[in-house]
Parts: sequence; C-alpha cells; structure tokens
Amino acid sequence: MPTTEIVGAWISIFLTLCIFSYLYDDNPIYKLVEHLFLGVSIGYSVVEAYFGAFKPNVINKLADGQLTPLVALVLVLMLFSKVIPRFSYLARIPIAFIVAAFAGVKLTGEANSNLMTQVAQSMPNLAAVYAEHGLWSWDADGAGLFSSLFLVAGLSACLLHFYFSAPHQRGMKVVSRFGVLVLMLSFGASFGYTVMGRISLCIGRVQEMLGLNRPIDEAEIIQPQLATLVSLVVIVGSLVVWRVQQSRQRGAEG
Amino acid sequence: MTLFEVLERFQTMDRRWVFLGMAISIVAPMLFPFNLGFKVDERVQSLYDTIETLPPGSTVLVSADFDPASLPELEPFFRANLEHLFRRDLKVVVLSLWESAPPVVKPLLRRVAERHDKAYGTDYVFLGFKTGKELAIKGIGENIFKTFPEDIEGTKITSLPIMQGFKQAKDFPLLVSVSAGFPGTKEYVLQIQGQYDLTMISACTAVSAPDYIPFYKAGQLRGLSGGMPGSAQYEKLVFPDGPLPGERLLATQAVNVLNLGHLYIIGLIILGNVAWLLTRPRAAAGGSA
Repeated sequence: MPTTEIVGAWISIFLTLCIFSYLYDDNPIYKLVEHLFLGVSIGYSVVEAYFGAFKPNVINKLADGQLTPLVALVLVLMLFSKVIPRFSYLARIPIAFIVAAFAGVKLTGEANSNLMTQVAQSMPNLAAVYAEHGLWSWDADGAGLFSSLFLVAGLSACLLHFYFSAPHQRGMKVVSRFGVLVLMLSFGASFGYTVMGRISLCIGRVQEMLGLNRPIDEAEIIQPQLATLVSLVVIVGSLVVWRVQQSRQRGAEG
Repeated sequence: MTLFEVLERFQTMDRRWVFLGMAISIVAPMLFPFNLGFKVDERVQSLYDTIETLPPGSTVLVSADFDPASLPELEPFFRANLEHLFRRDLKVVVLSLWESAPPVVKPLLRRVAERHDKAYGTDYVFLGFKTGKELAIKGIGENIFKTFPEDIEGTKITSLPIMQGFKQAKDFPLLVSVSAGFPGTKEYVLQIQGQYDLTMISACTAVSAPDYIPFYKAGQLRGLSGGMPGSAQYEKLVFPDGPLPGERLLATQAVNVLNLGHLYIIGLIILGNVAWLLTRPRAAAGGSA
C-alpha cells in the first residue's frame, strides 16, 4: 500500500475528529478545518469545471477551428458583467437563456413522469389490487385494498385542505383535519428517513475511525484505531490549552 | 431531588450530554457487535430479481452519482451491485454526473473487477464525470458517444469493444442509478426513463427515499434500495454466506448500530415529551416552590 494512502487515512481521521470537536464548542481547531474544507471543495470544483467543461467544450473546440463555442464564451463573459454596475444589465441575456433552457428541459419531464404517471397511480384499480393482495398483505409491505383506499382518501383530503374557495366548516373541516393528519404522517416519515440518513453518516465516520470500513489487510497496515487515539490526544490537548488561554484572557480583562 | 426537579433539569440539560449519549450508542455496538437481524423488503428483493432476470453477457449502464459524504449509505450498495453484476457475467458501463465521484468510484470498480478477472474496455469501462446535470442525462438518452466522447483514461469510447452497439440509454437492458441527490434518480426518471421506457433500478440515500418510493409504486423504478438499511438488505441477498475472505459487509455491520441509534433518539423523544407534559402544569403554576 502506498505511503500516501496511509498518511491520507490518518489525515482523514484527524480532520473528522477536528470537525466533531464543534460538538464541544466552537473552537479554533474546528474553524481551521472548516476553512480547509471550504478551500479544498472550491478548488476541486474549479479544477473539475475547467477540465470537465471549459477545456473540452471551449478551448479544445476553438483549437480545432470551430467557432460556435465563441457564442457560449461571449455569453459567459456577459455573466461576469455583473461586477461592473454600468454594464450589469448585460448579464440578463445569458440568465434569460439559462432560465429558458432549464424550463424547457424540466417541463416535459415533470409533466410526463412526475405529474401524469403519478396522477394515474393515484387512481388504483381496486378490484385488481384486492385480487392480488387482498385487504392487506404483510409480504408486499402493506399493499392491498386498505392501503389503496387510504391513498385515495388521504390524497383527496390533502388536496381539499388546500382548497380555499369553500369555508373549512362542518364536513369540510373534518376532511381538512384528516388532510392535515395525513400531511403530518408524511412529514414524520420524511423526518424519520432524514434522521436515519444523518445517523448513517455518523456511523460511516466512526467506521473509518475504527478501521471497519476497509478490508482487513488494509486496516492492519493503516492502524486507524491508533490514528484515532493519537488524534484524540492532540485535539483534546489543544482544546484544554485553548480553554486555559481563554480563562486567562477573561481574568486579565475582568 | 424530586421527580419534578429531575424532569425539569432534563429539559434544560446541556445538549452535549445528548451528543455524548449518541456517540456511545454508535461506538459501543461497533466495539461489541451484536445482531438484531433484519428482513429484505419487497423493493430491494425486486431490485435484486431485476438483475437476476438479465441474460449473461448483457451490458448494464450504471450511473454512480454519489460523493464521499454519502459513502456510508451508498458504497455498500455499489460494491455489492458490482459484485452481483460481475458474478452474473454481465458487462458494466459506469458513468457519473457528480464531480467528486470519480476518485471514489474508480478504485472500487477496479478492485471488484480484478477479483473477477474482468478486462477493462471489454467487460467494464468507466466513462468518468460529465457536467451538465439534466442536460447530460438528456445527452445519455440521445447519444452517449457525444456526451462522453472519451472514457476516464482519455480513450475514445468508440474504440472500446464494450461500447459497440450501445449508442444511447435505451440500448442497455438495465439502468442502475446509485444516487445521493441532484442530479440522480429523480432526474433520470423525469428526463429519460419515461421517454425511452427504460428498465431502471435505484439505490438512494435515506433522505431521498420518500421522494422515490412513488416512482417504484408507479413502476417507473423496478427496484429501490433506500439508505443504509436498503444496502444491508441487498448485501444479504448478494452475500448470503457472509463477507468474502478479507472483506467486510459495511452496511450489514452498520445496520445494527443504526437500530441502537434510533432507539436512543426514540427514547429521548418520549422522555422529552413525558418530562414536558408532567412539568407543564406545575411550571405554569409557578414552578416547584
């Protein structure tokens, strides 16, 4: 295994713990790594944008004698006119292109796949569903007549909750409340998935620190647990020094 | 100290105790592993079965749209998926719409391919990253040679044996989207799946899963693996006898930890609400005095 990979793994563990130090308090080590992360991210993006988009689509094509990229180049330069207030209006032209192109690309897909197909799915064939799954099927994640009817009722109630041309009184109030209940269930499910995602990310970092995310032979060479221990000692030591300095400063000021 | 005081103190305690509790509930089960077990749900089973129905020798298009941040959730799936595809003697064309994906994808692909003695350019290829997001997806639907003229090594893809006869997405019998967000599964479904009636499966992060489940229910996706549990279930199907020698099943070992993390959060939510409910009347009346 190359030494760079071993050093990289140790740096990765150290930086992870530096970021985690924020959980204790906002501190200089965290700030340092936060700035480092931003710098590296932006640097990486700029290099990728140059070699992945600008060079092949503009520079290489111009070098081949094609002139069409000049149009794109002029539009890009017009975007930068924002920095000169006198000519900032020029930026509206490329922005108009971007908005129009994006709207055109999005509209057909949204209308076809996200609207029509989903609307069609909200009108299930109840007889077919009952024939396939019965009232409720544990094997098919709860598919069945009950779920299909709940889908139709829940969807209708949610839509009626946002219908404001009729006062939400009597029957409408009950339907609207049911719609809110369905919305809450939906938000709860989404939030549950989000929590799961965040814990998963945390698990991923801990797996790295304990060397559990690598093949066994690699972990034996890198010694991630030792790296974690050394990093912890360095970071905790630095935090202690920082705290002592802070209290001394406060003492001198007070 | 009375129960009321304990509950009141619980509501105002330093949040760092919560973080410490979470750290313990994650680290402890990793150091002392246990197995609570889990079952494979219908969506992941369907994803697995879709691959199983492909005849050997077919070429699969894999869009690896993730980054280092989403590795814990998607790396186990991607790894198991490559293993599954190569084991079934399928050819694999990998591409990415995420700029930070190539440094992660390339070594993983090479490692699994080498284990199966697969030849680059003939059995598998990595086309690298392409900017353009949804426009790039449109390009993949219309003409891959134009969208990815070269692979990640700079070789013209028209000269690669694996790419012969595969000009656009619909030429592939299966599209696998490993998606950590935008652009990813949703954009593939919106831009080309419906238009070309592609057979498509997806593995996504937990955050995206609720958005993609309707696509599965509508038949736009033939299978869906959501987050770390989805990856663990897929690992269970691909590696029924446990990990390969020297390897680990990352999601399987993590999913038990995830269970404990969830129990910890559920416990805090219940405790917090009970504390609030029990202390509310006395607090409103002026506290414990």
